[in-house]
Amino acid sequence: MNKVLEVNDLHVSFDTYAGEVKAVRGVTFELHEGEVLAIVGESGCGKSVTAQTIMKLNPMPPARIVSGEIQLAGKNIVKATEKEMMNIRGKDVSMIFQDPMTCLNPTMQVGKQLTEAIRHHQNLSKEAAHKEALRLLELVNIPNVKQRAKQYPHEFSGGMRQRVMIAMALSCAPKLLIADEPTTALDVTIQAQIMDLLQEIKEKTNTAIILITHDLGVVASMADRVAVMYAGKVVETGTAEEIFYRPSHPYTRALLKSLPTVEMDRSVRLVSIAGTPPDLLNPPVGCPFASRCEHAMKICIEEMPPQFDPSDNHQAACWLLHEDCPSKKDGGE
Amino acid sequence: MENKNFDVNKLLEIQDVSKHFRVSEGILKAVNHVKLDIYKGETLGLVGESGCGKSTLGKVLMGIYMPTEGKLVYHGKKEMEINKKTHFEYSKMAQIIFQDPYSSLDPRMTVGSIIEEGMIIHKMYDKKRRQERVYELLELVGLNKEHANRFPHEFSGGQRQRIGIARALAIEPEFIVCDEPISALDVSIQSQIINLLHDLQKKLNLTYLFIAHDLNIVKYISDRIAVMYLGNIVELASSKDLYENTLHPYSQALLSAVPIPDPDKEAQKQRQILTGDVPSPINTPKGCPFAGRCPRATDICRQEKPVLEMKQGHLVACHHVESR
Repeated sequence: MNKVLEVNDLHVSFDTYAGEVKAVRGVTFELHEGEVLAIVGESGCGKSVTAQTIMKLNPMPPARIVSGEIQLAGKNIVKATEKEMMNIRGKDVSMIFQDPMTCLNPTMQVGKQLTEAIRHHQNLSKEAAHKEALRLLELVNIPNVKQRAKQYPHEFSGGMRQRVMIAMALSCAPKLLIADEPTTALDVTIQAQIMDLLQEIKEKTNTAIILITHDLGVVASMADRVAVMYAGKVVETGTAEEIFYRPSHPYTRALLKSLPTVEMDRSVRLVSIAGTPPDLLNPPVGCPFASRCEHAMKICIEEMPPQFDPSDNHQAACWLLHEDCPSKKDGGE
Repeated sequence: MENKNFDVNKLLEIQDVSKHFRVSEGILKAVNHVKLDIYKGETLGLVGESGCGKSTLGKVLMGIYMPTEGKLVYHGKKEMEINKKTHFEYSKMAQIIFQDPYSSLDPRMTVGSIIEEGMIIHKMYDKKRRQERVYELLELVGLNKEHANRFPHEFSGGQRQRIGIARALAIEPEFIVCDEPISALDVSIQSQIINLLHDLQKKLNLTYLFIAHDLNIVKYISDRIAVMYLGNIVELASSKDLYENTLHPYSQALLSAVPIPDPDKEAQKQRQILTGDVPSPINTPKGCPFAGRCPRATDICRQEKPVLEMKQGHLVACHHVESR
């Protein structure tokens, strides 16, 4: 499988009046054709900033890529100018957002918006681009496309708008699709429709997908691999099976346990993680989760743990996995 | 309603309540002939998609909206029908926790005065005792005394939701409407709030109406669950029964749509995907409200509206559920 994206030790900061907010602090991952990588984490963990940096959608300043590289289809886009990015966005990588209403132009017919996006990247006549727009709307299962294309975004429901967004994102057959919380604003029955559509598109077009979400259920239904982010760092990555059935990082474990399952009733108390994530204006030197971790040791506060490999296709940054750690013998529990 | 020690006393009787809004296109029937009893000490879950009327029903039960038809009878400390006259008195018994902890707290008031306000309105205690109550309440919800002089923007989402809970508890209500209290919070914070609500219920013998769209959480916290669709209650059963023996086709689709955080189960699951969207609640057609999206719909569904009746231990409104 071809490598579509490689992110290497990416650091992104925001310069604010209060100081430098280190939103992303050394993120490394890669993505292959036809693969779905889910990035999960709480709000403020840097998952959206990472995604926006791949598209270079962050306004710079205040945002700043401090170091690291992003290899997208063989090009390092960290140094790319805005003009070069205009051609990369939409063609090599495109994005769908959480709130489809704010991403569509309310004063423009849906079909026209799509046609515009197609003509920007492809040398097509107006008629051919319009035809292509209708084909895309059909691809995302919008009924009566001819009439629908003439309507405005406010005449569409939330799920329909998200379909239009997906159609637009797919218009130039990108190698990588970033879905930033694509279903958070939708109801569960509509969420199921959209997840189904994304799955279908992935199988048809072999597009790599980065799925950003905080819903672990959505992750389980779609992701091949999972990266768990916390306070600007990837604390654990692995295949979906590894993360869900053999989580190694205490944060991932606590996150999974804090969800009630269908079998549980109120006699079982939910596991909650005390405290709140650290302030990224002054991120801790050691493990960012140390202050909330029940297994925290002295070294956790003093030094950031490196990535350990608990098994194949699985990395976690936690001192408990170090071979000298006493609790390693009893499985790190 | 098994394994539950709430007494069988009714707290609130909802007698055929409807709430309609007049809009330019016609009449929007947000809540349509809802009959429901809420018992003392229970948690009643209310689920459904956005626009199904669950929040409107919550607001009607709070006395924020007066019902267009039907009436509400409150059987708590004092029996009364809820109307414009008794609304003020009733508001001392019922309180609400809102979804968005950012917009539901006045940014220009200190946390202490936010919590105290309800007590002032209801003329409870003298100034000194009120101050003490504020401190007690802050500690009760897991914050501390020093927080009373701060402003809402200094707090995180989870802490703000705790302030919202303290405010709701300030006037010692019996009944609390929790309108999606955790939807805006992160997963690791959600469980803190759920545990807090559960502890408070045990400690203070509260009754909750828990409105949410996260079905796993509703199942976990509720004794009984009501499923709403387009202003109508389509199924009502104990939470265990509803999950183990789902009867209404809409409840089945809703439950199957919830993704489970377990890749193997997800891969095996037969997902029933509903086509289309929820129809508009303005000028709804006759017949079953779900008929347009229902895989089992037949002619009778499009002609005649099913009534909510007891079938297989559930209250369910569907022509195609056998009444064994």
